[in-house]
Amino acid sequence: MRRVLSGTIYLLSGLLGLMAFLYPFFMPITAKVAHGAGLAHSEDAPLVTGALVGLCVVALIVELQGQAISAKTVALLGVLVAITSILRFLEVAIPLPGGFSPVFAPIILTGYVFGSRFGFLMGAFSLLVSGLVTGGVGPWLPYQMFTAGWAGLTAGWVGSLLRRGPLPRETFQVLILSAFGFLWGLVYGVISNMWFWPFATGPAEQTWSPGIGLAQTLTHYATFYVVTSLGWDMARGVGNVLLIVFLGAPVIRALTRFRRRFQFLVKSTDA
Amino acid sequence: MLDARVWLVWVVTALVASSVARNPLYAVLLLLITVIVGAACRAEGDRTGGRPSVLSPLRFAALAIPLSGLFNALSVHFGDTVLFRLPGNWPFIGGPVTLEAFTYGAQNGIALSAIFAAFMAFNLVTPVRDLVGIAPRAFHETGVVISIALTFIPQTVESLTRIRHAQAVRGHRLQGLRDWPPIVLPLLISGLEQSMGLAEAMVARGYGAVSDQRQSARMSAGIALSLLVVLTGWLTLLFSTRWRVAGLVLMGVGAGLMLALLWSAGRSVPHTSYRPRRWTVRDTLGVAGCGLALAAASLRAYPGHSTLYYMPYPRLTLPPFAPLVGLGLLGLLAPAILAGRRAPFAPPLDGEHAEV
Repeated sequence: MRRVLSGTIYLLSGLLGLMAFLYPFFMPITAKVAHGAGLAHSEDAPLVTGALVGLCVVALIVELQGQAISAKTVALLGVLVAITSILRFLEVAIPLPGGFSPVFAPIILTGYVFGSRFGFLMGAFSLLVSGLVTGGVGPWLPYQMFTAGWAGLTAGWVGSLLRRGPLPRETFQVLILSAFGFLWGLVYGVISNMWFWPFATGPAEQTWSPGIGLAQTLTHYATFYVVTSLGWDMARGVGNVLLIVFLGAPVIRALTRFRRRFQFLVKSTDA
Repeated sequence: MLDARVWLVWVVTALVASSVARNPLYAVLLLLITVIVGAACRAEGDRTGGRPSVLSPLRFAALAIPLSGLFNALSVHFGDTVLFRLPGNWPFIGGPVTLEAFTYGAQNGIALSAIFAAFMAFNLVTPVRDLVGIAPRAFHETGVVISIALTFIPQTVESLTRIRHAQAVRGHRLQGLRDWPPIVLPLLISGLEQSMGLAEAMVARGYGAVSDQRQSARMSAGIALSLLVVLTGWLTLLFSTRWRVAGLVLMGVGAGLMLALLWSAGRSVPHTSYRPRRWTVRDTLGVAGCGLALAAASLRAYPGHSTLYYMPYPRLTLPPFAPLVGLGLLGLLAPAILAGRRAPFAPPLDGEHAEV
């Protein structure tokens, strides 16, 4: 029962968050249905979607923190979030190429080793704490927390998928995680753009306008993404690959060793 | 010093007003208000340990407004007032460059700058500890994790410096990514060891006794239900004109249910604070100012509300301006006005623990 409820919360929050990110793609349909009422949403849409994404983050955090977070998990999470936040300082202090950010590799690696629940919390809290300490709190924060959280969550799924059978070689694990990091480098950009794209100004073939069809909306967004963001996001994806290739194997070894220590639990046996 | 909750209300109001006001006159007014509040409260931020931004709001505005206007003018060739023409065979930018397109782009840049300035002022004046302090009690574990992370950041920086010095003594130089493992791994392992020690200390003080209790299934079911209600409401709002009000009501009910669950979960968490801050008359005045601005920006019945929307296309005209709306938005200046005044009731500084 408990697993079903948790699964339902993941599913609903994921669906709601995804819909909030992708709502411009529904707008052509809604505009048709509502005979122009879709236009009426355009002023409040960023606020409504921002609130919905925030609600999803809150729901997931409440659900995940409620699942028996032990003192060890809390302490471990706090310290790892602190280390990742230091990396965000580097990103702010030293201009790095394009969208390259050193915070994604630790989120992916910890999610992979400690599981999806830990991965989500690590992703969401890392962006929150680093935003707090670097003065980066803004309307973009719920989107960043949600996306980074899902990066950690899905990294946990990769880990449990690979651990189902005999654990593959370390090189293979690093290879898989590098590809995963590259993919998330791009997906993060694709998703993050969605909150402002319907209101972006520019050439007609790159922007959304009321009344265009779903296929056209997709084509326009793809053109917009390739022209404005692909190069930027590619730097993030390649950066993730480099960090995971150079640091992945030893970090996974260290985290795995500590995972065993952290999972050690003394249980009382009542007669 | 205003309460962190007042600043939270202020920044949300500024965000709503800047998003809603699609009129360059109000957008400029909001930008000025947010910049003035940020400047007026700078001294307070320095005193309370706020976080200054890397980029100043004025510098951001000086970059964002002309760039946004220029980008729109070069890429959107619509409008009656043609400034100049670029050869039509130039990809993307070829065609007439109009004043209307520039104005529309600049208007977006002003709104963006106002939002940025508001959040920079918020970051500047609210210490992180106060923000953690106002987190709802239901986020008890989240608050603990954030507190640990914030406490460990200076320690981690010190560890990083120590490790770098130790490696430098051994001839290690940080030149490329290959040189990172000797720095990153000791940092990670020392951090993990510290977290192990911290967890033991927490358990010894009885932390696990409370935190290891599993969240009730009823709470999870409530969260799932509230998400379902919000999702249904939003779908109704998006896809139906007949049931728009019902959609809005459902979204409100779902969000309300979530808030009620959080409040209910928070009640079981005992919360004490060191030197609790008392709500003052200044805080009430600050919230009243925000309420006035929010009413001007969001209530359709507010006099002159329709002037918030303006479209420069197809021919640029003077944007409308309603003095009552402008006056309402000035409510956001309340923190700047209150910053220079002494609090009529100073917060207690008796150093005793008190139940909140």
